[in-house]
Parts: sequence; structure tokens; C-alpha cells
Amino acid sequence: MTDMMIETRNLMKKYKGTRAVDALNLAIPQGEIYGFLGPNGAGKTTTIRMLLGLIKPDSGVVQIFGKDLRKDRLQILRRVGSLVEYPSYYGHLNAIENLETIRRILNVPKSRIHEVLATVGLTKDAKRVVKGYSLGMKQRLGIATALLGSPELLILDEPTNGLDPSGILEIRELIKKMPKEQGITVLVSSHLLSEVEQMASSVGIVNQGRMIFQDSMPNLQRKAGSEIYIALSDAEAGVVTARELGCFPRLDDGRLVFKGLDNGQIARLVAALVDARHSIYRVEERRKSLEDLFLTMTGSGGAETDISRIDAGHGAPRAVGLRREAAQ
Amino acid sequence: MNQWIAALRSERIKLGHSRILLLAVIDPLLCVLIGLTAGMEKGDWMGLLLAMSLIHAMFFLPMLTGIFSAFVCRYEHEGGGWKQILSLPISRPALYLAKLLVAAGALALAQILFAISVVLVGLYQGFDLSLIPWELFATRLLGGFAACLPLAALQLFVSTMWSSFAAPLVLNMVFTVPNILIVNSATVGPYYPWAQPMLAMMQSNIDYNFGAFNLPTQSLMITVGASFLLFLTAGLMYFNRKPV
Ligand SMILES: Nc1ncnc2c1ncn2[C@@H]1O[C@H](COP(=O)(O)OP(=O)(O)OP(=O)(O)O)[C@@H](O)[C@H]1O
Ligand SMILES: [Mg+2]
Repeated sequence: MTDMMIETRNLMKKYKGTRAVDALNLAIPQGEIYGFLGPNGAGKTTTIRMLLGLIKPDSGVVQIFGKDLRKDRLQILRRVGSLVEYPSYYGHLNAIENLETIRRILNVPKSRIHEVLATVGLTKDAKRVVKGYSLGMKQRLGIATALLGSPELLILDEPTNGLDPSGILEIRELIKKMPKEQGITVLVSSHLLSEVEQMASSVGIVNQGRMIFQDSMPNLQRKAGSEIYIALSDAEAGVVTARELGCFPRLDDGRLVFKGLDNGQIARLVAALVDARHSIYRVEERRKSLEDLFLTMTGSGGAETDISRIDAGHGAPRAVGLRREAAQ
Repeated sequence: MNQWIAALRSERIKLGHSRILLLAVIDPLLCVLIGLTAGMEKGDWMGLLLAMSLIHAMFFLPMLTGIFSAFVCRYEHEGGGWKQILSLPISRPALYLAKLLVAAGALALAQILFAISVVLVGLYQGFDLSLIPWELFATRLLGGFAACLPLAALQLFVSTMWSSFAAPLVLNMVFTVPNILIVNSATVGPYYPWAQPMLAMMQSNIDYNFGAFNLPTQSLMITVGASFLLFLTAGLMYFNRKPV
């Protein structure tokens, strides 16, 4: 039924009675960079482990490349590169030897080792024992390992963990190139919205094991919306003027706040206010930050939670349920 | 089969620069000292083999078995390698068997070096090479090696279960020490995996005809074979399901 690279249905995993992953429906189309976003303990790593067959779900189905993971696990894994949680390495071996242990199982040409080392910028340190690597270098080696088998699907669990800003940028650029240059689909997990925003083309947000939002990145950004703030001499009177034009602002600290105005409306509004002898001090657009939206959705932010903003997407009804549970 | 060979070749790299195989050399070297000081009657090859086997089979072989079995899991435990290697297109049984074979190979090396050292000590003391009872020698040496395999399977099972290099070794040590007592028991001895190597290498000899040493080779080997299959199956079943 799919051209989905990854699809899960009602995936569930319990640990000691609590559901680390619950009724999770992932849908990742080919060629996407899918940002798998959620706060600490949301169930990202647990989900990824299930995708790779490292742990078995308590219920639900995983399909990768349209094949059932339970039946075709090895065939699937041959086409997947992964990095789970923190990089794995053999400390007593150098980078080339580390990759060689994997290469012998993947059965790819030796030249791949040097290619992937160059890709992640480890060529210079390739002959050093990995024990002496910095965390960032180990992380790069982990990514090189994931790329070794020329995978069609790359699953990276918090790949920029422990990297410095330039390292983060480099890895991000690397990930962004994958779909364009090699047609690789990428699932990348993160607890940082800003990071996902900068590279993902679609997003899934999980919280407490449940998917609360899954859609394209532009759609998520649209939800964040923007507001126009107008600071003026007499706000109370300004509201009346605005109403005459069919705009209904709220008042915020002597400013009028409008939602969803287009350019024409703003122009007419300002002109009318000036005509009515208001002094206009400031007209500014404020984007409701995605960060706020994310915090609202995951309930990890401030006290005020606005359910109405989380209306679209697969996860919506659950998000409401979740908030209620949290409120009790 | 291909997977298994691939896994084996991959394990080979991991042994890399580690000096673990030196242990297989140290064991026979220490046995040489014993052989040289044993003061055997000239030409008594079997006596020499037995004298040198005592420490080798009672302590070194079980200890080495535990060490090698733990060692093949060590780097996976340390560097988080399990999740990486099990995300590769290799079946868990193939990987498990590859690791067991590496441990068995290291044990075989220890046993071969031990055999060579016995012969060298004999020659040094002027024994006649043509008088070596080859058949008996072979039975003891091969039997001793085979009798390590159930323990290797058991220790590998424990080593995959506990994510530590040291813990399985401590367990192994704790169960190896009572070997001195357990061989006295004809009922328990053959079923005690830590004692099986020494029973196989030293049984039914005029000097050691008490307790478990009296068992005929054949029945001991049946016990060894059965316990190997038991531990291997249990280990494989566990590893196959282990959450990583
Ligand atoms: N082996 C385990 N035993 C018990 N509980 C577990 C186990 N693994 C995960 N959990 C629990 O499942 C939940 C989800 O954990 P998971 O590691 O998947 O979160 P995450 O989204 O990856 O978080 P982070 O951003 O911190 O990496 C947590 O509450 C965690 O305590
Ligand atoms: Mg995680």
C-alpha cells in the first residue's frame, strides 16, 4: 500500500507497565529528511531500536521498504545505516580497522572505507586509535559507519549530540545533502526543535510515547503563525477604529495585537488609525516561535497550554487526551 | 554460512593488537617448569603428560576458557558494539557461533602449544621420541580440548548476559577453585563443567584412580557432548531474544 520508506502501525513498547512508546504511527516518505522530535524520555530511542529489530515491540507492526521487519529483517538491514543513541566503536582499533570490522559483514569494497572517512572529515585521524578520539570524532566515525554500506535509509539518533557548533553545522549540511545527492531517506531524531527546523522536510513530534504531530515542516511553521503588534497613543480608541474596518484586535500592554492580517489589511488599518489622529509608534510582526508551539504541544513549557493550536495532523485527538491526563 | 564466515572474519580484526593470545603461550610455559622439575622416570611419557596436565587441566584450561569467552564479548560491552553489530545484516546465531568459534580456536591454540611443550620437555630430558604413546596422547589432548567446549558455551552465555568483562571471570574463578575437591566425586565430577577438562585429560590412570578419574572416556565424552548442546542451545535462545 505504500511508497513509504518507514511505516509503523500502532507500535507499542512497555517498560514495567508504562508505555515508553504507545500507538505510534510513523509514516516516512521516500527522499524526506524526517525530523523525529521529542523531549528527553519521549520514546525516540525506543522507537528507533524497534525499527532496527534491536528490541521487539509488544504490539504493532514495522514496515521498512514496504517489507515486514519480522520477516525480512536481514534484507532490510542490508539497506539501512544507523547510529543509535551514542556511537559504538572498538577503542583499541583505529578508524580504518573499526570500519573494516563492519565492512566484512556488509561485504562492500574496501574503497568505501576511505570514501566515508573523507565524507565525515576523519581522513587525517584515520590511523589513530579510537579510544583517544574526542566525542565529536567518535560521533563522526559513527556516521561514517552508518554510511559504509551505501544505505537507502539512514536512521540517526541524535547525531549531533556532543558536537561543537561547527561540528553540528557540518553534520547538518552532510545530512541535508543526502536526499539530493544520493536519494537517501533520513530519519533523524533530536530533542532540539531549532535543529530539526534547519534540516528536516517533515516532522514527527512525540511526547510520552505518543505521536502528537506529524506533517511537513512548512505546515508546522504555518501553525506557529504570526501576529501584528501596533503600539499607538490611545489603544482603547484604536480598538474602535479597527473594529470599523472589520479587524478585531486584543489589547496587550497598550498595543493592539492582530492575528492573520494580510498586507492590504495592515495598510488600510494604519491609514485609518492615522486619519483618526492616533500617533503610531511601532508596527511589528512577531512570529509565534516554534519553540513556544513545541513546548505547548509537549506540555513541557509554561502553565498556559492552548489545545486549539494543535488541531491538525494525525496526532491531534491524542494531544488533547494527553493534556487532559496531564491536567488531572 | 556466508554470514558466519563474514562474522568470523570481522571478529578476527577485533582481536587485532590485543595480546590476549599470549595467555595461550604462558600456560604451556608454566607447565614446562613443572615438567622439568617433576623428576619423571626416563621414558615415562604418560607420567610426564599427567604431571604437566595437573595444573594445566585443573586450573589453566578452565580459566582460559572463561577468559576467552568473556574476551570475545568485551569490546562489544565496552564500546556499545552490540547495538551496532546487531543492526547489521547478520543473524544473531551466526554472530554467536562466530564468537564461540573464536574462543574455541584460542583454546585449541593453547592445547596445541601445551602438547608441543610436553614433547619438548620429554626430549630435553632425553626421552625417546619413538616411544610416545601417540594414541593415548591424542585421546587425552583432544579429549581435554573437547571437554572445554561445554564450559566455553556456558561462559559465553554468561558473558553475553552480563554486560561486563570481569563478572563472568569472577564467576568462572569461583567455580574453578573447587575442582580440587570435585574430582573426588564420581557422581558430581563428570557433570561439573569446570572439572570436565581435567577428567578428560587425567582419567583412569594408575596414579589417579580415585573418584571421578575412574570414569571411562566414552561416558565422559557423552556427558561433555550433551552438556555442550545444552549450554549452546540455552545461550543461543537467550541471545536470539536479548533486547539490545
Ligand atoms: N531498557 C529500559 N528499561 C526500562 N525503561 C526504559 C528502557 N528503555 C527506555 N525506557 C524508558 O522509556 C522511556 C523512553 O525512553 P527513550 O530512551 O526512548 O527516550 P528518548 O526519546 O530517546 O529520550 P532522550 O532524548 O533522552 O534520548 C523513558 O521513560 C525510559 O525511562
Ligand atoms: Mg534517546
